Amino acid sequence: MINHEVVSELENIVGEKYVSDEPEITYLYHYDFVTAEPEGKCDIAIMPNSAEEVQEIIKIANKYKIPVVPWVSGINFGSIATPRRGGIVIDMRRMNRILEVNEDDMYVVIEGGVTWADLQGFLNRNHPDLMAGVTYSPPGTGVVPSCLCYGMFNLGMLGGTGAEFVNGIEAVLGSGDLVRVGSCSLSDYWYGRQPLPDLAGLFIGWEGTTGVVTKMAIKLWPKLPYRTDFLPIAQTVEEGVPLMLKLSKAGLGIIDLCVINLGWGQSLMCLDQNNVANDPVELGLPDFLGLISTQAYTEKQHIAQCEAIRDICKEFNLDPLTIKEQMESFPENIQGLMGDLTPSTGGQAPIQFWGCWNFSRGGGGQWIGSYVSTRNIIKYYNLSREICLKYNKPPQFYSRLLFGGHYCVARTNINFNKNDPEDIKTARKILNEIHEATQQLDGVVMYKPPLWAVQYYKDKTNPDTTKLIENIKKLVDPNNIMNPGQGIGGD
Amino acid sequence: MSKEGAIEYLEGKGITKLTTVANQQELDRNKNLEYYKDIFYQCGKCGTCRTAYQEEGWFRMCPSGDFGKFEAFYLGGKNLLTWAISSETLKWTEKLANIFYQCSLCLACTQQCQIPEIHNFAGEWLMAMREEAVKLGFGPMPEQAKYSEHVMKENNPYMEKHAERLNWLPSHIKQTPDAKLAYFVGCTSSYREQGVAIATAEILNSLQIDFRILKEEKCCSSPVYMTGQAEKAKKIAEKNVKAYKDAGIEKIITSCAGCYRTWKETYPNKFGIEHGIEIVHLPELLLDKLSSGELKINDNKTPMKITYHDPCHIGRHMGIYEQPREVLRKIPGIELIEMDRNRHNAWCCGSGGGVRSAFNELSSFAANERIEEAKETTAEAIISCCPFCLNQFKNNIKNNEIQALDLSELVKRVL
Repeated sequence: MINHEVVSELENIVGEKYVSDEPEITYLYHYDFVTAEPEGKCDIAIMPNSAEEVQEIIKIANKYKIPVVPWVSGINFGSIATPRRGGIVIDMRRMNRILEVNEDDMYVVIEGGVTWADLQGFLNRNHPDLMAGVTYSPPGTGVVPSCLCYGMFNLGMLGGTGAEFVNGIEAVLGSGDLVRVGSCSLSDYWYGRQPLPDLAGLFIGWEGTTGVVTKMAIKLWPKLPYRTDFLPIAQTVEEGVPLMLKLSKAGLGIIDLCVINLGWGQSLMCLDQNNVANDPVELGLPDFLGLISTQAYTEKQHIAQCEAIRDICKEFNLDPLTIKEQMESFPENIQGLMGDLTPSTGGQAPIQFWGCWNFSRGGGGQWIGSYVSTRNIIKYYNLSREICLKYNKPPQFYSRLLFGGHYCVARTNINFNKNDPEDIKTARKILNEIHEATQQLDGVVMYKPPLWAVQYYKDKTNPDTTKLIENIKKLVDPNNIMNPGQGIGGD
Repeated sequence: MSKEGAIEYLEGKGITKLTTVANQQELDRNKNLEYYKDIFYQCGKCGTCRTAYQEEGWFRMCPSGDFGKFEAFYLGGKNLLTWAISSETLKWTEKLANIFYQCSLCLACTQQCQIPEIHNFAGEWLMAMREEAVKLGFGPMPEQAKYSEHVMKENNPYMEKHAERLNWLPSHIKQTPDAKLAYFVGCTSSYREQGVAIATAEILNSLQIDFRILKEEKCCSSPVYMTGQAEKAKKIAEKNVKAYKDAGIEKIITSCAGCYRTWKETYPNKFGIEHGIEIVHLPELLLDKLSSGELKINDNKTPMKITYHDPCHIGRHMGIYEQPREVLRKIPGIELIEMDRNRHNAWCCGSGGGVRSAFNELSSFAANERIEEAKETTAEAIISCCPFCLNQFKNNIKNNEIQALDLSELVKRVL
């Protein structure tokens, strides 16, 4: 039961200024203001300043059996930080300290509320020779949630998903225990998750249903002095993808490989969907843009790598132009924006770009994003493309090859006007249809899934695995206070 | 095209236009909430408004949000609260008004947002929300109401007497009774930062510019207008304009960023008062006279490292970024060291928008952050072109760690 007594107890922990049950404050935590998912309800918003304060909050939540939702920016395409059953939203953003950078072992230890802007700015100012992978998400989003939810970085070819960048975790469990996993659990070093049992899996992929991560170490990478970003363009995605698959297994200092269709490219350029072609292919416009980033330690090495990349592009009859060269052929009014994409065109790297949901100028956007076998990229695109066009929405597709080409991610974005209930309904319909259609492809598994998709996977998962997940959830969160209603565990 | 090349400053405004973005909605400024109602919800509260977009340091930009911490205090939160009000999801309350008034309207947030309509127009609905608060009796804040009443009676927000407005004026200042040019001193320079007024008048004398200061000068109305009291502010504006027109004034020099913005932007574009008087801010005049050789600067005997603070009212609001810097660069011995956050990314001093009177803690937080940033440059002084910023810095600098000076005061030293 949430009442003034709870608020008062919480105030004793963090101070009056950092707790609120006022509608003007809690309203902004009800839902994420981007997706087509239904809204929840935040009863109390609180901003702790330390792991100990988080522990105290969890104790109170357990005492009163109140749900708790950990929150950094509250935007993700599955709406998994939306309080489905009310309760306390723990806004982590006061815990935004960068605690340590270990240059020898190349990792950074951060608090749970650090945003990409916090981390990137800190590294640029203090450790310019190191870089963290960065997502396509906006700079205000959280690093820890990105890693925990298998977010993708622009160093995906080097390190895989954000989850694979995690070296160690400190977290307050739903039970109230403060645990550490990885080398940091028995030493001051956060260099890795080995060799004890890898308990990072208690938090990765759980969507905040097991605990609140208060600290995390993530891998950093050397920012090498030579870098080139290529942007080959082809008429169709079918023509371009084989090139990217070959490159993914060629080494060549490639740190990032992305397949982008023209719809996604247009959304990155913030074009209004009322003024762009729904189907560029029909108009004979090139639909495939491939982003290839390579870096090297020496100039000689870089020249050789770039030459090999060019040769492979030519094998596929694609012009191996750099982004800079491609930009020159673009209309002037979009050059600057695309120029922000990479350092070789004068922009900041890695990029943090916002604009995808601006595409519809209605502020709404949601995706079907899945991990996929690389052999299914083209099929995935074609299925989602057809459904988008059926509903008169421009297909926006993006795929990133990960971890040396071992697997990839494929995503289709749907934009809509969030002030238009009919458009929201249509978006939901499209998302469901794409999900259903792509699930027919073997090995397609959605990430950051909203509740309806979680249920789908529960039904599909090996029953003993489901049982294990439920048992773990009961063990670490006996009162089921952690982000309930997301469908994880026995929820 | 580089990023810098992709940013265009709108004529007469510091607010940038994203030329990279096609199909922008053409909107007017100075409209009410209803007019902008289809823009608020385009915000996804992504947080881009909180930090300097695509800048190396990704520096924090929003004093209101960084102080208030909760989402509601950032632009994203304010956009969505505005949507909630316009769609009647939330009702006006004292708390809501309080959130909207805890903002200095510095507009640093809008410069970061990449949604073009929000980037270009969010400042308009932040003002419109204040006006709405006033209409519904939730605004202004009590302290702002108090000083506004005093403005209506005594023509200044400092609880001083109008009769003492010209007490700062030294006898050696030469005025020309029938001059067509007036020096509009403003309340802060008249009552609090009189050094700015004296330096400005002395500079005008040394340039042999015929000018006069009208005894009818009243508060420009900025502190009243910026707190949402547009109707009251308009009445003040009308009186001011009448006095200056009746006196045959054709050109006004100001040394105050707020007065400049108000005369040049608010009077004609918000209040519809086409006064036809040319409004010039002192740095513009100084640069002009330095470039023409009319303003002679002596060899500066005391070299000085300085940093420049962009006042929001001439910077982001009016687009004056380079003129003061060019003046500073032309002074021998002056070494200008930029703070990390400068020009359209400058951190606000925290005094504007009625914040200093109503939310002193927030105001000091903002000022102290800027003072620390200035100290990090190793500069000996923060130079600004706004007496309100100057006064704010002076009130918050501890133990003389750094000096605060107005550009006019620095220039006066080297004439």
